Amino acid sequence: MRHPPDERRGTTVPTVYQALLTRRYLTRRIMPLLSALAVALSTAMVLTTWSVMGGFLQVLLDSGRTFVGDVKIYWPSRGFPDYEDLLARLRADEDHVAAATPVIETFGFVSYPNDRVDGMLVYGIEPESYDAVTGYFGTLHWGPEGSPAPKDSNRADLRLAPLSALANALLHIGDMSPAALARALRMTWDDVLANGKSLSRLDYETGERRPAATLGIEASGLNIRQPGWYDVLPPQRTRPDGGVETIDQFLPLNGKITLNVLPIDEKGRAVETISRILPIANEFRTGNYEFDKRMLVVPLSLLQQMLHMDEAERRVSPGESPFEIEVDPETGEERFVRPEVELEPARVTTVLVRAARGVSAQTLRDRCEAIYREFADAHLDRAPPRPQIATWEELHKDFIGAVKKEIALVLVLFSFISVTAVFLVLAIFWSIVNEKTKDIGILRSLGAGRRGILWLWLRYGLCIGVIGSIVGGALSFLIVRNINPIHEWLGSALGITIWDPRVYYFSEIPNKVEPGAAAMVLLGGIVAATVGALIPALRAARLDPVRALRFE
Amino acid sequence: MSEFLSARAVSKTYRLGRVDVPVLREASISLRKGEWVAILGASGSGKSTLLHLLGGLDRPDRESRSAIVYEDRALSDMSARELDRYRAHNVGFIFQFYHLLPELNVIENVLVASMVARGRLGYRLRRRALRERASDLLGAMGLSHRLSHRPAELSGGERQRVAIARALMNEPDVLLADEPTGNLDHKTGQSILDGIAQLRRQRDQTILMVTHDPAVAARAGRVVHLRDGRVVEGRDERSRGAAGE
Ligand SMILES: Nc1ncnc2c1ncn2[C@@H]1O[C@H](COP(=O)(O)OP(=O)(O)OP(=O)(O)O)[C@@H](O)[C@H]1O
Ligand SMILES: [Mg+2]
Repeated sequence: MRHPPDERRGTTVPTVYQALLTRRYLTRRIMPLLSALAVALSTAMVLTTWSVMGGFLQVLLDSGRTFVGDVKIYWPSRGFPDYEDLLARLRADEDHVAAATPVIETFGFVSYPNDRVDGMLVYGIEPESYDAVTGYFGTLHWGPEGSPAPKDSNRADLRLAPLSALANALLHIGDMSPAALARALRMTWDDVLANGKSLSRLDYETGERRPAATLGIEASGLNIRQPGWYDVLPPQRTRPDGGVETIDQFLPLNGKITLNVLPIDEKGRAVETISRILPIANEFRTGNYEFDKRMLVVPLSLLQQMLHMDEAERRVSPGESPFEIEVDPETGEERFVRPEVELEPARVTTVLVRAARGVSAQTLRDRCEAIYREFADAHLDRAPPRPQIATWEELHKDFIGAVKKEIALVLVLFSFISVTAVFLVLAIFWSIVNEKTKDIGILRSLGAGRRGILWLWLRYGLCIGVIGSIVGGALSFLIVRNINPIHEWLGSALGITIWDPRVYYFSEIPNKVEPGAAAMVLLGGIVAATVGALIPALRAARLDPVRALRFE
Repeated sequence: MSEFLSARAVSKTYRLGRVDVPVLREASISLRKGEWVAILGASGSGKSTLLHLLGGLDRPDRESRSAIVYEDRALSDMSARELDRYRAHNVGFIFQFYHLLPELNVIENVLVASMVARGRLGYRLRRRALRERASDLLGAMGLSHRLSHRPAELSGGERQRVAIARALMNEPDVLLADEPTGNLDHKTGQSILDGIAQLRRQRDQTILMVTHDPAVAARAGRVVHLRDGRVVEGRDERSRGAAGE
């Protein structure tokens, strides 16, 4: 045969007609756009679900850090003494430990100005070291705020106005001495923030600082969440005569709560209830609804006192009766038995540890176990032999495991649904190939080989997959980034609330798209479209050219 | 001149359900270089079938004696890939219904023949030259001003001229024309035939043309008849000879 040399290879090496035809088929037909749309919707669906649920898991895991740090060493109720030594040992391991802090964790009842009483988780903390472990300072809500939240066009956020304006409106001369009033009116947002950091507030009457509590922002029910800020309701209280009165109070300025806790003795009995009226220093917002609703922090030393876990002289062997009588061996006289008294060290229930950069929570947990063992060996008689040492994830493994399973389940279900996209592409491609049968015959008559025809359709499917995936990815990105406004709109327009913070822990729906997840889903979309195109492409390649040409 | 494309005793049988329908029975035809041959036959006599066999688009029944030979090589000995190349470079088809690709414009419809025939590199390297050749061919067909139109915007005669340009794009040895005027009015048909005749004269193009119209067949140098699955040499047509045009 007569061929110029390179033309001999004509139909075996890649050819360009496929690219031209793919381009023309794509731009001049509705059907391929439909299959691209099917791919786009499936991609968007899977990626959106993955992003929101994966984000939820991530926030859940991260939120542990905001209150627990990475590892928690916990011996409930009675706690352990000599914790300063344990802290020193932990802090010495700078390779693994970034910070460590002592905490008392207990349960308490809090009565609020509006007469509500709630069971709460009470943390006694040392603010500075606690912040180093958990980032507590960053969660304090009330403080100076320069610019309004994007949605806050009316500047409704209290923090935007000077605190003195609010103080003027709330505080009446009649209730306070002029000196106290003067002190209260001088308060600024910076002071409120500092109060939260020191867990103390000025007693306006005496001018002294008193220990104070920081509440979770949802705890009192007096803060109404807005997109980016909080509205504050003045507390209302039922009067003895049945009427309702409104109290002029803004918690961080002049609010007080009553905290009731139960000290537990060494036999595990709660002997009495200890109550304290505490001023409010500030309120914190972690974004974890459970914490924000159910937690308050108070100074560690205060809680130690209240729970009798501070350093004190205590009777060690009280004897059966306080009136037991013995004979004094020197004088031979009878006397009351003197209780043996011992200096008991201060105790905490918990030590929280934050991992150094690059150290995983699991690694840190193992380190903490080793360090604790050394510590226990050094304090054989007093250290609890086996406290719970666990990461946040381990502490909540039932819940986190359930969330992980749920995510996997939903993704599997949605991926199954996405298989319909494959069939949709298959069906659409089948009919496109049908419609284009004559084109295939023409191309074969011009010398196109079966492989060339196969590649034409596969390439077409690939293009549709790429376009569909990119469109779907972009769509998903838009949805996920704006999921909170969308959710809000659904709520206001249709009355649908899907994301209830009471159920999902977090007040905001996670709105980040993981690049890794996006890459996998997009790739999946491309593969799905190509697989969907494969069978029609094979059919096209196997078409008898003469039949294809005669096809009407 | 030597014969260089021939069919020797080829048969083609279609199976419809359980019934064998023989369309060609040991039909033989041979073409010499530069010849214009017309196959004249009634509708359904198997003209298109024979053309498809000669063009390597279809294969005849397996029979020991039958062969389609192109330059001393039997098409039946060629691999699928070699047959693809044969169609791409050695023959050029023209069909009754033009068979243009509706999504491509006029010049792309012509260029697609060389895209199919050449590798990506081969095409890209010569793109400009090939484009020039395509537009020259279309210019010779009087279509210079319609290069970017789509087939749907052309008349039947114009479409057939595009199809001819496409068939010539890769400089085939043999032009296989299946009722090239069958779908056109008389005047347009004549102008298409004039074009083909001019090709034969100017390039010494070998042409095998199929038609059921004796008047069209009369334009060819030699006419053969297809009857009962066999090729029968024409009588009166023969006297006009190969040099008739
Ligand atoms: N795929 C097929 N299956 C069965 N029979 C077929 C097939 N293709 C063609 N035939 C039959 O073969 C015969 C010859 O067909 P062909 O198209 O070659 O005729 P033709 O001479 O070109 O007719 P026309 O002038 O109408 O184009 C016809 O009777 C047709 O019905
Ligand atoms: Mg025919």
